Amino acid sequence: MRALLARAAAWLRNLPAAAAAGLVALIVVAAGTAIILQSEASYRAQKSEEAQVQADILASSIVAAIDFGDAAAAQEAADAMRVNRQLRGVAIYDRSGTRIAGYRRDGLGQRPTLAEARSVTSPGIVAEAPVMKDRKRIGTVRLAVDRQPLDTRFGRYAVIALLVLMAAFVVGVLGVAQAMLRRANRELELRATALGEANSELTHQIAERAKAEDQLRQAQKMQALGQLTGGIAHDFNNLLTVIQGSADMLTRPGLKAERRQRFAEAIVQAAARAAALTGQLLAFARRQPLQPEVIDVNAMIAGMIDLLDRTLGERFTIRTDLSHEACAVEADRAQLASAVLNIAVNARDAMPDGGSLAIATERVHHEEGDQIAICVTDTGAGMDEETQTRALEPFFTTKGAGKGTGLGLSQVYGFATQSGGDLKIVSTPGEGTTVTILLPCSDAPLPAPETGPGEARAAQIGAVLLVEDNEEVGEFAEAMLRELGHSVTWARSAAEALQAVAERPFDVVLSDVVMPMMSGIELADQLRLLQPDLPLVLTTGYSDEIARSGTGGRPVLLKPYRIETLAAVLDEALMGAKAEAE
Amino acid sequence: MAPRRLLPALLGALATATMAAAAPAFAQASEQAVKAAFVPKFARYVGWPPAAQPGAGQPYYLCVIGRDPFGALIDRAAASEVIDGHPVAVRRFASIDFEAVAGCHLAFIAGANDAATAQMVEGLKRQAVLTITDARNGHARGMIHFAVVAGRVRFSIDQGTAAGRGITISSRLLALAVEVKP
Repeated sequence: MRALLARAAAWLRNLPAAAAAGLVALIVVAAGTAIILQSEASYRAQKSEEAQVQADILASSIVAAIDFGDAAAAQEAADAMRVNRQLRGVAIYDRSGTRIAGYRRDGLGQRPTLAEARSVTSPGIVAEAPVMKDRKRIGTVRLAVDRQPLDTRFGRYAVIALLVLMAAFVVGVLGVAQAMLRRANRELELRATALGEANSELTHQIAERAKAEDQLRQAQKMQALGQLTGGIAHDFNNLLTVIQGSADMLTRPGLKAERRQRFAEAIVQAAARAAALTGQLLAFARRQPLQPEVIDVNAMIAGMIDLLDRTLGERFTIRTDLSHEACAVEADRAQLASAVLNIAVNARDAMPDGGSLAIATERVHHEEGDQIAICVTDTGAGMDEETQTRALEPFFTTKGAGKGTGLGLSQVYGFATQSGGDLKIVSTPGEGTTVTILLPCSDAPLPAPETGPGEARAAQIGAVLLVEDNEEVGEFAEAMLRELGHSVTWARSAAEALQAVAERPFDVVLSDVVMPMMSGIELADQLRLLQPDLPLVLTTGYSDEIARSGTGGRPVLLKPYRIETLAAVLDEALMGAKAEAE
Repeated sequence: MAPRRLLPALLGALATATMAAAAPAFAQASEQAVKAAFVPKFARYVGWPPAAQPGAGQPYYLCVIGRDPFGALIDRAAASEVIDGHPVAVRRFASIDFEAVAGCHLAFIAGANDAATAQMVEGLKRQAVLTITDARNGHARGMIHFAVVAGRVRFSIDQGTAAGRGITISSRLLALAVEVKP
């Protein structure tokens, strides 16, 4: 039974909701109809039973009347039944079936014999009872009962019918609602699926686009790199041509001392320009550690006039307008000079037919403290708007291939922002350009003007521990140090250096920074623990580590360096150590 | 009444009278025949005290005392009555001065005159006997007293006297009476 119910339930679940609801509604209506029919049937049964009982009672009460042939008495007994208003009529027949008494409520006549009465179907409920005397039938009572009026019965059933119809209606509405809900759910699912597909398509497209953008960026990078390397290679080739040619000339025998000197100087100059070029690259990469010092900007610019004159040539006039309010700044002197020079060279290139260059200084009041503005103004071609907006972009250049790297202004901008300042360009096509470097003022005291370090101080000589993993640089450095009069021990790794320090005393350590296994900075930290008084000078072309963590206050000798610089840095280190010792 | 219409009426009355034992004659064709048919029927609607009831298989005794107005009519009528297995037997007595009268259940009394009838009714008053009289024979009344009302044979019932003898009369019978004396 339970399994059957479960099966029926499963079958119902699989039906469409509306069909199931219709089915249930039909069942409800059928059940209601069955209840009404059952009720009607039981009502009929009850009525006919009642009628039968009445007939039986009447039959037994008129036995004597029939027995004695007393039609009047029988009629009396029949008339007594009139009290029951549901009785349609009563008829009493004698043994032979002849009507002897009775009445009809509607007053019409009755059939004269039982057989005739039986042959007519009565609309009401008919009951017959025999009148028995000593097990013999001596007569018959026949009575007809009106059914309850139709409207009364209808009223009774109407309540049931109404309830059933309402139940069916509710079931129907629920079924329809369920069906609609299911359809809505299906649509929602479809939409969700479509949305999911669209979303994955979008994600795919985004990924594709990102990939395409990456490829484009890569291509642009490669293009820029090509442009850069092209420019650098061109510059370097020129310089290398000079160096190689001069060196070749120097190896020729029997060269006059004067010419030898000129070739040597040419090599030095070319090398210096090459160093400046790599310095620019490093500055652009922001990998060059700045060596800030307090600079009197007016004095520095005044000192640059000769250099600028030489760089720009005869067709240019240089005017200066240096404010007496100008303050000192804290910046890398070489970088600042390079920046001014860079702007001046750009100005020269903007004025192919010559012109005038104005350099002015001005104190500017700024929210975060006063600044000094160094304005370089030319009377050249100027820049259109697009060029202006792209002027600070790395690798952007208006010069022909090989003529410029596109790094100049970008490097100046990098330097200015790195020093806490800014760079501004104001230009009108056809009228000229003003480039302004803004740098924060410094309250630090200016260093006392030096009167040439090498001449004032006696050269210091000591035992130098050279730590250098590169064979060529090592050999060169060792030769230069010996030339300067130092005694040199060359360690090819940090470990070797530590061993040497443990074996014998040194006056100063000159260490490369970038080395395998242990870097110069790590070596310096270890040596500080072992011999805190041993001075150490770091030397490097560039170093991520110095850019990241600084040198910890140690002096740094930047590669490439010249023998004078090397001598000065070592002298200073040795002097400092001595001063502390005293 | 014209003679040519008398014959069918007489024939009809005769036929009805002959059938009276089998079916009550509603036509009231013959007054005596109707009375003869009624008398044995009373036994069915009357209850006697236990001492007076007939034993198993014993008949109810219907006694015709004094003058017999029915003759064979009552014999036939009695023969067709069986009440709960008891037949009805007719006995005839000239007077109540017989021992056997004590065994009567029903007694139709018709004296030579009104006084004689009254005397006989009085004589039976100490017994449990349903006494039946006829108005045609005078004013003396038994427990059931026949009379013709509106051309039909009817009867009145003296329920009080019957009750005094321990005789009960069915309400069905009472319902048929013209008059009931409580």
